[in-house]
Amino acid sequence: MKRSEVVVTGVGMVTPWGTTAETSAEGWRARRAVERRALEDLRDTSLAGAQVAALPEFDAAERLGERRMLKYMSDAAVIGCVAAREASTQAGLRKRFRPERVGLYAGAGLAAASVKESYPIIRESIDTDGRFSCRLLGSRGLASTNPLLSFKILANMPACLVSILESVKGPNYIFTPWEGQTASALAEAWNAVADGEVDCALAGAADYPTHPSTYVFLRQSGLLCEGEFPAAAAAYLALERRETAVRDSRTILAEIGEMSVVECDDGPVDPLSSLMGRSFAAAPAVLLALSCRTEVDSFFVCGVDRQAFRAEVRRP
Amino acid sequence: MQRVAITGFGVVSPIGVGREVFWASLAEGRSGIGRIARFDCSTFEVQLAGEVKEAIQSPEEIAEVASADPKVGFAWAACVEAMAQAGLRELNSKCLLHLGTSLEVFDLSQVVREGRPDVQAIADRRPCDGPRRFQIPLDTAVRLIVARLGRPGRSLTNCSACAAGAQAIGHGFRGIRRGQWDIAVCGGFDSMINPLGVGGFQLLGALTTSNDRGQRACRPFDASRNGTVLGEGAAVFVLEPLEKVLAEGKEILAEVCGYGSTLDAHSLSAPDPEGDGAARAMKMALDDAGIAPDAIAHINAHGTGTALNDKVEAAAIRRVFDGLWERIPVSATKAMTGHLIAAAGAVEVGACLLALVRNMMPPNPSLERVGQGCELNHVTGRAACFEGGYVLSNSFGFGGQNATLVLGRHNGSR
Repeated sequence: MKRSEVVVTGVGMVTPWGTTAETSAEGWRARRAVERRALEDLRDTSLAGAQVAALPEFDAAERLGERRMLKYMSDAAVIGCVAAREASTQAGLRKRFRPERVGLYAGAGLAAASVKESYPIIRESIDTDGRFSCRLLGSRGLASTNPLLSFKILANMPACLVSILESVKGPNYIFTPWEGQTASALAEAWNAVADGEVDCALAGAADYPTHPSTYVFLRQSGLLCEGEFPAAAAAYLALERRETAVRDSRTILAEIGEMSVVECDDGPVDPLSSLMGRSFAAAPAVLLALSCRTEVDSFFVCGVDRQAFRAEVRRP
Repeated sequence: MQRVAITGFGVVSPIGVGREVFWASLAEGRSGIGRIARFDCSTFEVQLAGEVKEAIQSPEEIAEVASADPKVGFAWAACVEAMAQAGLRELNSKCLLHLGTSLEVFDLSQVVREGRPDVQAIADRRPCDGPRRFQIPLDTAVRLIVARLGRPGRSLTNCSACAAGAQAIGHGFRGIRRGQWDIAVCGGFDSMINPLGVGGFQLLGALTTSNDRGQRACRPFDASRNGTVLGEGAAVFVLEPLEKVLAEGKEILAEVCGYGSTLDAHSLSAPDPEGDGAARAMKMALDDAGIAPDAIAHINAHGTGTALNDKVEAAAIRRVFDGLWERIPVSATKAMTGHLIAAAGAVEVGACLLALVRNMMPPNPSLERVGQGCELNHVTGRAACFEGGYVLSNSFGFGGQNATLVLGRHNGSR
């Protein structure tokens, strides 16, 4: 079967360097170390001094032109939707393709709702002995919480919100929670475009591993070493066949010549980690997005799930 | 492109552990739904679920995690049964391992310090403090299976909610068909039967609170349906190229023939009222299988027992099978198993195998009076005889993800 050339016509990013593809790429080009903030919630623990990458402030409602849906969104969903909107807009996705012919291929990080959002449930569920009580959870705790909390902890919700906001109705996969899973999602997108299963693929990931509870998990599991710091980030790319991009006179940001995922024991870790921090599930998407905007031509990264992602990117 | 054979099937479900018990329960219309025993649900509005009653045998490290997150044990048991039937002893670089699941387990009791919620409570615990983990990531089952059974060429954890299990099978099917893998071990596993899982779905209004209905509380397509019932379990399949299986003389349970995957892009919690995404998934699966709608002889519906889903799905089936639907028997096995969320699609593909292997279509035993808009050719009461060649299984996910699979009877040449 003849496979088509796959090109990138839209890129969106939210990273600690900036909340657009361009500002993120500028940070990477300058090899600028990002600002960090301390996790105050952990100051009286053995993890005192914990730091995470600081994310620049931005108005998500303005970027999305949408305020109502924000109440359903976890932090990961917000940055994922903003990155996807940037990529979708740049590619002219909604104007050029039938929604049924656009696929969505996404990586999702660890459940990213803030533990603090569950404090009201916990507070109402503590008995007179100071212990968490299942009976009190049923009688008081559940009533004290926002029913929409479930939408924030289901792993597929960030990507489903992207589908709703960008009107993507085609084939889809969502994999979780580490780098190799996002890499597989990106590879599925590349294959779907190359094989003609879809006309366009919106592919990427969002991860928000900077909540205190997530930080604790990562450190206790040995997935984040002392000295390393996590970073919230999201990146989405619009992939399509070269012929449709040329037909519609779209700017081709890059051609992706090869994309593969292999099991690996060791290999180069995320090259962004020392500067931007570790964004886990988002990292392969951020790297691919950066390589469309900067001098990176190919890369090979091994994730914590011992799966490596290799991509060859050629810019015009 | 290669044809794809199912050579192994393993299942853990509220109506039995192991395929023989599962099929027998389906054929008898036996329900696994009852009062929740796993935790004290006496103050919850929702007090019913389809729990796995049998103890699951697993290696120590898996049993330890499963004590806090039972779905991990379910995944293991289903995987081992499926691989054993296929004569597969270990995974290797020619294998794909792809399992779907939905929600991380959080133990909120650990975020309590000195009688108040405080995240610092989890920070000072010893690393990996036995089974009392605050958070168990969704890839845990896949990671433990790989550690025990060998490393596949690719291992994936799919989190596409109620469509995850079907997506994993569809993905495995596509990978085998295009020659990427020699073997795909794929399916779904899930359990939300814990205080937060049940509580969360209760808050969303997705579950029935008619606790007095007991075993018949989940009523897909019935006029009195008022919400689904959570179930738990796992189903795993081994897929292989048909030619290879024939050459090896292995038993073939059925063939996977087509797969469709779509998005509603409509709402996080409600299906597209027109059923457009569901209909497109069915059409895509039929096209992928290269068959016309009149080839389908049986449908296993998503059929959750919620007011909206069943009406929309029935309309979508009638549209896709226009002029045919009155002749196509439709089963809704969630009436017996409850809704296994990410495992649902895989378990229901297992129910489709009952038709293709044992020539019986499972019933929808809770259906007494068909709801308005839910008109289909429902299989009610007990199992019915099946002689057809193709069956179709629907899975529609929270968030708007839809997946449909078409399976075919293996008879040498179709």
